[in-house]
Amino acid sequence: MDLLLLIQGLLIGIFCYLGSVSSPWLMGVTGGYYVVGRPLVAGLIIGLILGDVTTGIILGVAVQAAFIATISTGGTQNSEITYAAYGGIALGLLSNADTGVAVTLSVGIGTLGLILHNLMMIVNSVWNKRTEKAAAEGNATKIIYNNAVYPQLLNFVLRVVPITLAVYFGQGFITRVLDIIPKDVTQIMTVLGGLLPALGIALLMNLLIKENKQLIFFLTGFVIIVFFTDSMIALTVFGVLIAYIVFLSLGQSQIETDDDGVI
Amino acid sequence: MFHLSSMSFEKLEANGFAHSMIPILKKLYKDDPEAYKQALERHTAFYNTEPQVGSLVNGVVASIEEERANGKEVNDEMIHSVKTGLMGPIAGMGDSIIQGIIIPILLSIGMGISANGNPVGVFVYILGYLSIILTVSYLLYMRGYKMGVQAVDELLGANSERLRSAFTLLGVMVVGGLAASFVKLNTILQIPNGEEVLEFQKTLDGFFPKLLPLIAVLVCWYLISKRKWSATKVLLFLIVVSIAGVLLNVF
Repeated sequence: MDLLLLIQGLLIGIFCYLGSVSSPWLMGVTGGYYVVGRPLVAGLIIGLILGDVTTGIILGVAVQAAFIATISTGGTQNSEITYAAYGGIALGLLSNADTGVAVTLSVGIGTLGLILHNLMMIVNSVWNKRTEKAAAEGNATKIIYNNAVYPQLLNFVLRVVPITLAVYFGQGFITRVLDIIPKDVTQIMTVLGGLLPALGIALLMNLLIKENKQLIFFLTGFVIIVFFTDSMIALTVFGVLIAYIVFLSLGQSQIETDDDGVI
Repeated sequence: MFHLSSMSFEKLEANGFAHSMIPILKKLYKDDPEAYKQALERHTAFYNTEPQVGSLVNGVVASIEEERANGKEVNDEMIHSVKTGLMGPIAGMGDSIIQGIIIPILLSIGMGISANGNPVGVFVYILGYLSIILTVSYLLYMRGYKMGVQAVDELLGANSERLRSAFTLLGVMVVGGLAASFVKLNTILQIPNGEEVLEFQKTLDGFFPKLLPLIAVLVCWYLISKRKWSATKVLLFLIVVSIAGVLLNVF
């Protein structure tokens, strides 16, 4: 038994828990889900744990690209980003996989993780009744236990155990699989790894774009990056300028309609 | 902070909201245990919003509870309607601004710096995000508390509609930039052209380098937005396209 690997797997599992959407310890989602839970940050943490920061971050950047536009609105999502980040990057790093393979691993693990996450969301209904009862009794301590302690124990187990096992047993398995799969399959994984960000971005567009004519702003942003500059900062400043102009012009038409109303 | 701790499909953040109200309710109703119980019960009703900018709601509700404790006429319906009336718009704005604009922009800046494995980019993201969100979250709570119900009007008024359109527009442009930076698709198709073969990708690069990624994004968006496909269905579609593309020697 490889004790070092087991401890490394356990540490990665604990960070996977800390970065989960419902973990409260790092200032709620602010320091957890949106910081430790992001693949970019996970890459650094996994790199530190496994002793290869550079590769960890490179894989983190690749997986982050696939999940760049991951959004979870109203409690629904298509892949569980924290499982994806910690499982995918750790296994990718341990098996010396290239970035396309790591991204595909992440997406697969993220889908499995989503099942566990949804299981937790269903089981958590139990605490609702108990919290209501505690509130009726005016028992604040009991509310805190039912909101924070019990659900978190469940969340902890559901995160740490699978990730530890995956890291511990997955390494040799993934390495062997990667050795025997044909070149075409690796190529498919690489192509898919490049295509996956399109899905996340499409989901984001679906959230933001309400009218087809807004597509012109999407195209503008796209073309600026393709033809003029690689810098997102430059694009953001330019975007703020346009947004401000639109804000002002909308204000004017607002006042005009108000005047019409008075007349 | 503990908002999502016991999140469930049934009531989402209800318990978290009650949890967050405990300190203030304890203070307000310390001489009236019966009212304290009622107040706690009031706040275990269904609740769901973006928890970071949702601090505004906690602030508003805290100030309303204070008025009630001081003997002002405030009924239960009023508190419920403030909560439910605010949580929707705030979730919509919060999710699209935080997850749609702030996080992707900061991430892509960090990723640019870290592309070769340099940890500095990661820290840029962590520090940038924490400083922005903690400030915003705190300010919104205090502002919500000070303005009370007035904050509702300010957020739902005509000004917010303008502000929202402007933010959406910025978001859409940034998303366009993200698409160009992160979606990768090249073809290896070769077109026989007399004696030589023409590499199709080079032709494409000649007039619009990222045309294929653009098409890929637009197709995905069309399927989700117009055809109402689920994200999982689009994921499977992309897998099929990748497999077919590689086997047919297109990609």
